[in-house]
Amino acid sequence: MKKKVKQIVSLTLAAGLAVGMIAGCGTKEGSSGANGKKNVTLTFGSHQSGLPTSGIVQDLAKDFEDETGIQIDFQISPDAQWRDLIKVKLDSGEAPDIICVDTPIGLASSLHMDQYSVELTEQPWVNRIEKTTLAAVSVKDKVYGITFPGAKMYFYLYNKDIFDKLGLSVPTTYSEFKTVCQKIKEAGYTPIYEATTNGWHQVLPLFETGGLWLNQDPNMYDKLNDNKIDLDGIPALLTIIKQLDECAKAGYFGDDYLSNAWENAKEAMATERCAMTIAELGFRGQIEKEYPDFKATEKLRAFVMPWGDNHVIGVNPASNAYFINKDSKYSEEAKQFFDFLARPENLKKRLIGQPELSALCWPEITSKYTKEDQAFLDSLKKANVVQTSVNYIDSQWMDVGKDLEAMYTGALTPEEVLKTLKDRRTEQAKLQKDPGWVK
Amino acid sequence: MNKRKLYPWYFAGAAAFLFFLLCFVPGILGIAYSFTDWNNFSKEINFVGLANYKAVFQGNSEYLKYIGNTILFTVVTTIMKTLFGLALALLLTQNFIRFKNFHRMIIFSPQVMSYLVAGLVFRSMLHPTTGFLNNFLRSLGLNGLAKNWLTDLTMVFPTVMTVDTWKGMGYIMVVVIAGLLSVSPEYYEAASMDGASFFQKFWSITLPLLKPVLVNITVLNVTYGLRVFDMIYSLTNGGPGNATGVINTAVYKEFSKGNLAMGTTLSSVLFFVVLALLYFIIKSMEHKEVEV
Repeated sequence: MKKKVKQIVSLTLAAGLAVGMIAGCGTKEGSSGANGKKNVTLTFGSHQSGLPTSGIVQDLAKDFEDETGIQIDFQISPDAQWRDLIKVKLDSGEAPDIICVDTPIGLASSLHMDQYSVELTEQPWVNRIEKTTLAAVSVKDKVYGITFPGAKMYFYLYNKDIFDKLGLSVPTTYSEFKTVCQKIKEAGYTPIYEATTNGWHQVLPLFETGGLWLNQDPNMYDKLNDNKIDLDGIPALLTIIKQLDECAKAGYFGDDYLSNAWENAKEAMATERCAMTIAELGFRGQIEKEYPDFKATEKLRAFVMPWGDNHVIGVNPASNAYFINKDSKYSEEAKQFFDFLARPENLKKRLIGQPELSALCWPEITSKYTKEDQAFLDSLKKANVVQTSVNYIDSQWMDVGKDLEAMYTGALTPEEVLKTLKDRRTEQAKLQKDPGWVK
Repeated sequence: MNKRKLYPWYFAGAAAFLFFLLCFVPGILGIAYSFTDWNNFSKEINFVGLANYKAVFQGNSEYLKYIGNTILFTVVTTIMKTLFGLALALLLTQNFIRFKNFHRMIIFSPQVMSYLVAGLVFRSMLHPTTGFLNNFLRSLGLNGLAKNWLTDLTMVFPTVMTVDTWKGMGYIMVVVIAGLLSVSPEYYEAASMDGASFFQKFWSITLPLLKPVLVNITVLNVTYGLRVFDMIYSLTNGGPGNATGVINTAVYKEFSKGNLAMGTTLSSVLFFVVLALLYFIIKSMEHKEVEV
C-alpha cells in the first residue's frame, strides 16, 4: 500500500517535472493572440542615466505594448557598472535585445557597437536626426543606433538668491571662483555639490573644458589621436586636476562628497544646502518637477566652468543611444519599436515628459529653451568636449573618476593621476594596435 | 565484499567526460591563455611567454597591491570569522541561555542574504551624515566615533572586513555547533569530576575534538577570502580609488577593458595560490588529529 502511494507520488512529480521542462523550453514567440497582437517580450538593457528618471521611456513602451502587444522589459544597471557589465554580456552572448549605451561609438576607444548591433542605415527615420548627432551613432557612414537628446552642455548652476545675499558675482576665473566658494562656505552653505560614488560626475571638469586644449593648439585633438602629443603636453589638464584637489581639500565640496550620490543633487540644490553644482540647464526643470516649491528655473542660473580660467562651454553632441543586438531573435520587433519612438507625436511626448531635457537632436521638434536661455547659449563661445573627439578618454571615464577619488583621499597626487590617465591611454592604444602607438 | 554489487568503472565515464570537458579543459585553457596577448580588439592571439606574469610581479605594479589586499582580507576575515563563530557556538550551546535556536537563527540569517543586498544595505547604513550608524553614534553623544567608514583610507578596509565577518560568522557558528554537539558529554563529566575549569575543558577536550571541523572551516574561509568579489564590489567597488581592490575586482576590470589575457593571468595566479595554500593547510592539519 505504502509502496503504491510512493509510486503514484513519484510518477506525478516526474510528470510535473517533464511538463515543466517542456513548458520552459517553449518560446514566447508564435503564440499570437486572437486580435493579431504578437506575444513577444523585448529586453531593454540600460544604465540608470540612460533612461530618464521621469519614466517617460517606460510610458512610451507601455503605449507601444498597447498598440502592438510587444512588451518591453527594462533591465536597469548602476551607471558605474554598466560599461563593464554590457561588455562582458556582449562578449558572452547574454546581452539584451535592445541596448542603451553612451555615444559616440565611432572612436577607437568606444564600445564597438557596430560589431554587436543591427545596421539601421535604411530605416526611414535616419535622415530626420541632426547630422552631427547622427555621426555619433554611426561608424563609416553606417548608422547603428537611434538617439534622442540634443547636444549636452555642462554648466555650473548657481543659486542666485545665495549669490545676491552674499553680494557675490559670477566668477570668470579660477581665483574668483575660489573667493566665491570661500565666502559661501563661511556663510554656512556647502559651496559645491559633488558626488563621486556614481563615478562620472567628478570627471566633468577635466574633459568638458576642451576649449582650453584647443586654445593651446587648434589641432590638439588630431595630434592627440595621432600620438604626436601626450596628455602631459597639455598644461591645462594638470592645472585643473590640481585645482580640483585644492578645492576638495579646502572643503568646498562639503564633507560627504565621497559618499554622495548624484541622485541626491536635486534635493541638495532645492533645500539650498548647496549653492552650486555642475549640471545641464535642463537639470533645473528636473528639480522643479520634484520640488515644485523651489522655483529652480528662476532661482538657478548658469555660468561656464571656470577651471583653469576656462571661458568656453564644452558641447557634447553625443549622449546615449539605443542599439539592437545583432543576436536578438526579435530584431524586427525592435525596429518596430524604434519606428514607434521616432513618430513626431512620440518625440514631442518624450521632450515634454523629460524635465531635464531642453532639446532633442531631431530638428523638427522645437526646443524648450526660454528666450533668455537661448540668448545666453548664443552668447557663449563653444568647443567640442574632449571625450567625443579624443580616443581612449571616454573608455576610461569611470577609472578617472576613481583616480580622482583616490587623489581626494590622499592616495594619489595630481601628478600621479595624470600619469595613470596617460598610461591607461597608452595601454588601450597598444592593445588595439593603434597605428599612432604601434609602429 | 560482494563484487556484483559494485558498479563497473565505465558507469562514471559519462560524468568524468563531462567534468573533463566542462571543468578541466576550460581551466587549463585559461592558464594557457595567460601566456598570450589575447584581447578584445584583435582576432590574432600571439604567444608572449611570461610577459603577463612579469607585468603582475614587476616593480611597483598595482596588481601587487591587489594581491596584498586579497591576502590581508583572507587572513583577517578567516581569523575573525573563526574566533567569533567559535565564541558564539560555545555561548549558544550553554544550558543557561534561553531560546537558543532563536538566537542561532538570528545570527545565521545574514548568511541567507545576497552579498549585493548586504553590501548595498551597509553602504546606506554607513553613509557619514545620513547613515544609521553615525546617526546612532551621534545620538549617544559619541561624535568622535562617527567616522567616514567607507571613504577614509584608514577605515575602509577594516570596515569591509567587519561587514564580511558579520555576514559569514553565522555559518561558521552553525558548523561549529554541529561539531560541538557531536562531542560526547562523558568527557566533560569526567573532566568536571577531576575539577577541570571551563578553560581547561575547552583547551583539552573541545579544541582537540573540534580540530577536523576547524580544518574544514579554515579551508572554506581561506578559499572564500581569496576569491572574494561581490562583497567588495557592492560595498566600495574597490574604492575609494583602488584602496580596496582585490584580485577578482582586478580580473573583472581587466576583462571589461578588453585585456582578456591579463584577466586570465590574474585568475591563474589566484588559482596557484589557492592550490598551494590548500595543500599546506590540509597537510599540516591532517597529522594532528587526535585519536578518540
